[in-house]
Amino acid sequence: MSIYRLFWIIFISAYSVVRSDDFKEEMYIKPLPPSHLYTYFQFITIVNHKSTEHSHLSPRSLGEVISRFKVDELHLTLTEGQWRHHQWGYPVLDAAPGAELYAWFATDVDDIDTQWRKLTSTLSGLFCASLNFIDNFNTVIPQMALWPTGAVKPIQNITSQLRYASLPREIVCTENLTPWKKLLPCESSRGFSALLNSRMIHNTKYHSIGVHVRKICANKDCTDTHLEIKQTVALVYDYKIINSMDWSFRKLFGQGLPGACTLSSASTIYVDVTTNSSHSFKLTPSPHRILQSQRGASETEFAVYDIHNNGEMINIGAKYDSKYSNNMTVIIPPPIYFNRYVLGYGKEFGGIVTELVNNYMTAIDVVLLENAPWWLPIQLSSLRVNGEANNKLVIAQYFSPGRNRQKPYHLELLIKLPPRSTTTVTIDFEFVFLKWQEYPPDANHGFYIGSALITANLPTAKQYSSLPISGSTFDSIINASKPWYPAVFRTNGAMVSLPTPDFSMPYNVICLACTVVALAFGPLHNICTKELILKPVGTPVSLTQKLMNLLKRKKD
Amino acid sequence: MTKMEPKSEVEESNRMWASASFVGVLIVIGLPLWWKTTEVYRVALPYDKINTFTTLSHAVTTELTVVANDDATADQIVDNIKKEFEESDVIKLNIKKFILPDGLRRTLDSVADDQEAVEEVAGAYDLKKHNTFYVVQRSQLYQDVWLSRERLAFFKDATASRTLVEVLRQWVYQTSVLEGGRLEKPDVARQTRFPPGEEYHVVLSVVHPKPDALAVEFHAEDAVEDYIGSFVDELSELHNFTLKSQWLYLLDFDFQAKEVKDTSEWGRHFAVRQERLQLMLTRLEERAAPQVSSRPTVNLALYLLPCHQAPLLIYDNNDKPIKSPVQAFMSPKWGGVVMYSPSAADCRAAEPTSSPDVRLIMGTFLAQLRTLLGIADTPSIEGAAAAALRSVRARRWELDALLRLRTLEQLAAAHAALASLAQLLGEISNIVINDEVGASINSAVKSIEAAEELLSKDLLAAYRLSLRAHIDAETAFMEPSLLALLYFPDDQKYAIYIPLFLPIMFPVILSLKNLLLWFRGKAVHKEKTE
Repeated sequence: MSIYRLFWIIFISAYSVVRSDDFKEEMYIKPLPPSHLYTYFQFITIVNHKSTEHSHLSPRSLGEVISRFKVDELHLTLTEGQWRHHQWGYPVLDAAPGAELYAWFATDVDDIDTQWRKLTSTLSGLFCASLNFIDNFNTVIPQMALWPTGAVKPIQNITSQLRYASLPREIVCTENLTPWKKLLPCESSRGFSALLNSRMIHNTKYHSIGVHVRKICANKDCTDTHLEIKQTVALVYDYKIINSMDWSFRKLFGQGLPGACTLSSASTIYVDVTTNSSHSFKLTPSPHRILQSQRGASETEFAVYDIHNNGEMINIGAKYDSKYSNNMTVIIPPPIYFNRYVLGYGKEFGGIVTELVNNYMTAIDVVLLENAPWWLPIQLSSLRVNGEANNKLVIAQYFSPGRNRQKPYHLELLIKLPPRSTTTVTIDFEFVFLKWQEYPPDANHGFYIGSALITANLPTAKQYSSLPISGSTFDSIINASKPWYPAVFRTNGAMVSLPTPDFSMPYNVICLACTVVALAFGPLHNICTKELILKPVGTPVSLTQKLMNLLKRKKD
Repeated sequence: MTKMEPKSEVEESNRMWASASFVGVLIVIGLPLWWKTTEVYRVALPYDKINTFTTLSHAVTTELTVVANDDATADQIVDNIKKEFEESDVIKLNIKKFILPDGLRRTLDSVADDQEAVEEVAGAYDLKKHNTFYVVQRSQLYQDVWLSRERLAFFKDATASRTLVEVLRQWVYQTSVLEGGRLEKPDVARQTRFPPGEEYHVVLSVVHPKPDALAVEFHAEDAVEDYIGSFVDELSELHNFTLKSQWLYLLDFDFQAKEVKDTSEWGRHFAVRQERLQLMLTRLEERAAPQVSSRPTVNLALYLLPCHQAPLLIYDNNDKPIKSPVQAFMSPKWGGVVMYSPSAADCRAAEPTSSPDVRLIMGTFLAQLRTLLGIADTPSIEGAAAAALRSVRARRWELDALLRLRTLEQLAAAHAALASLAQLLGEISNIVINDEVGASINSAVKSIEAAEELLSKDLLAAYRLSLRAHIDAETAFMEPSLLALLYFPDDQKYAIYIPLFLPIMFPVILSLKNLLLWFRGKAVHKEKTE
């Protein structure tokens, strides 16, 4: 019995440790005048204990994937639509259209490529997405563009453990949202996730769901790490779709908020009310408190709601002052924005153009990552920055040529964007003939080129709403002034149409060729092997010949 | 005319040689070439060996030692056992007999506690060896036969031989379960237990539908590690186990329970019909994520009933409540579910807190786990008793029985997989067998042969080989590359062949007749000229 008593003592002391798995839910609403509304959800689970076999609030399925493939940090986003940086400013987390996945593996993983393929296939099953199409031929290892956001040992060679892939063709829908919701401890029955009604959220101009796993420091000296699993949803509503400028939970999500999730230690809603000065609106019910934040030179004001689980239905909404509703708005573009398009005509050559606009008064260094699939070979010799081959703006460059069916083309440029200027990066590509089995279904639809990645350390926090790298909840944004603000953006994707054959052609060719060969063969064989013999008159006529003669006579 | 004759003969021979060259190109060269290039790739397989395996010939040889007080008793016991097991074709006994040494006999007679007697015998004989069993006479016995937790049974005297034989047949050797293991059609035990495998994941899911209304003090991780961990440690020679636990909150299941008034502390209970419970598994599967495991998963779910649904009783098909301290059910090849109701006092508190009885719950899970992993239940035999399961560990002789059962089952399964693959290959000509699949088939065949040989010598080695054979045969059978050409339809093949082959081959084949006649005529002609 003494063993059991000891066990009980261990049990009681261990109880407090294990139960401290922490779950928080947060929501951030920001009007994007004149015509859009940005809502961003984040669900944060912090796993405090080391053993991945036993899970409490964190999803076991994800924990198992992370531990089986020894992933240090993982970012997966599934996005439909295009974020317009020029109009909307910067999102909390940017995402490429379609599916995007990148991960850092632990340093003791030897064969990263195999692990990466296994990871993508497993995640594909977990999220019902076509991530299993990620293979070596569409995976790149970014050298400068991506850095881990979690805690890593400083001596570690980070880039060699990283793999990045995007599937721009992926269409994101309900079947991805349902498994995503199952990872939440409250699933979709309680808390903020109850708002994520697939009927309403797929009716938006932009929607993106994501899972971000990283290690965060457990204490100040970072001697120990915790696992942070962050699930995010970003939505951009168009006022035209909801038919008015006045928004409310009921209009946006089809229902009110049924209180906080029982298991969350904090459920908070932040509404960005900075635009209230130009577009006056009134929030109902009134916020619990107002937070002022000064980040760099930009000031932001948040209305904060602390949501509790008391069974009340909450319907937060904003009503715009009608006399201001027709105000003209001047869109102030963010410090950096960009545009990307495809050049060329015909089916032989083309080019990709990326325009980077620096709107700020000082020069900004950015890393541009172009990732072209193997069927779109780009040549470094055709790289032009502002029309010049050796432009002084390029500080460093990395190019890894692709190989047919094995490796994509990968170009990274570190460029210094001069103040108040537009920099144009052009690179030419050739069109390639694919094997007929390599064409996707509906090949005439065109082929997607993935987004380019743009990494910048912004000198100003204007229009910047990302969390600081050390923060995991939204309140870390308050007064988080830093010398620079790291950001990774994705440009818009593009589409090209490759030379596409008529797919019934091979069969037609086979049939036609066979028929021609057969037609030619008959006479040839006859001439070679048969003899013409004159028939003397009066020889007996066979039955078939009699029939033939009868027919001939009738014709005459 | 004399001038014309040789010319027409030359012409005719030209024509005939032309015809012969068509035949040569199309039939002599073309046909084999076509045959070779359209052939489905198949590695040579040991079909004859696969076909000569017979599942029913497998029998395990096991060692039995009879130790009696005198020679006559020993002889009688041995004779009875021999007679009983003579006809069995699954188990072959290798019986030895000894006379109990005087010192040990006196100790056995003086020791009152059976467990102490076991320890005495363990000092004299080696009970640790796999696939052995000792039957020792002990006059100071309440029953006829008493079966210990070790590889040892006591019997009273010669009159107990009938009971002893039954104990050996039904409990120790479990011949009917063994026979069921190698049959083509699975018996009930095989339908329940997990298919053989190298590794299992055991996942305990604690389902807490109302975390806001009831606080629960239950430590899933420790419960799994302590109870299930020490149970599966004993089975480590058979399988590897990974233990996991998770909490599933807010997973509501609608039991459609009927409230029934009774005289308990609650003054009521909820009656849930047995057939309703099957639907619960679907609800659990949705959230428990068993599919992410890379190995077969044994699911154990603890459903913590909220206060407003407690206590819950399962009613059978005759509308009678099932009397049991724990309300639980098991799903074959899936796992088990325990439904735990908090006590009335817990729920009446201002802040309801329940601390479930870990021993009771985990004991139920262990009982389910034993069945799911293939440890058979022991039917009751008059005059015989088995030592109770005091700790969570399995009895030693149960492990031996499981080892024998799994070995036979794996051999039978491997053989069945190979035989069906061979049959499929015979029936469907489009199946590709590449080098990898060929290698795993060959290795499975080799492992089966080696395991069959070891069945009579070293059971543990035979088990490992049979597991290897089973895994190899299954990977070969399930390999997706087998299907690479399966969906290449025949009608498309003929759509291409007919326009080409029909018009070409017809004249060529018809010309064969003339060609043969000409060759024969020429030969005759030559003979004539000579």
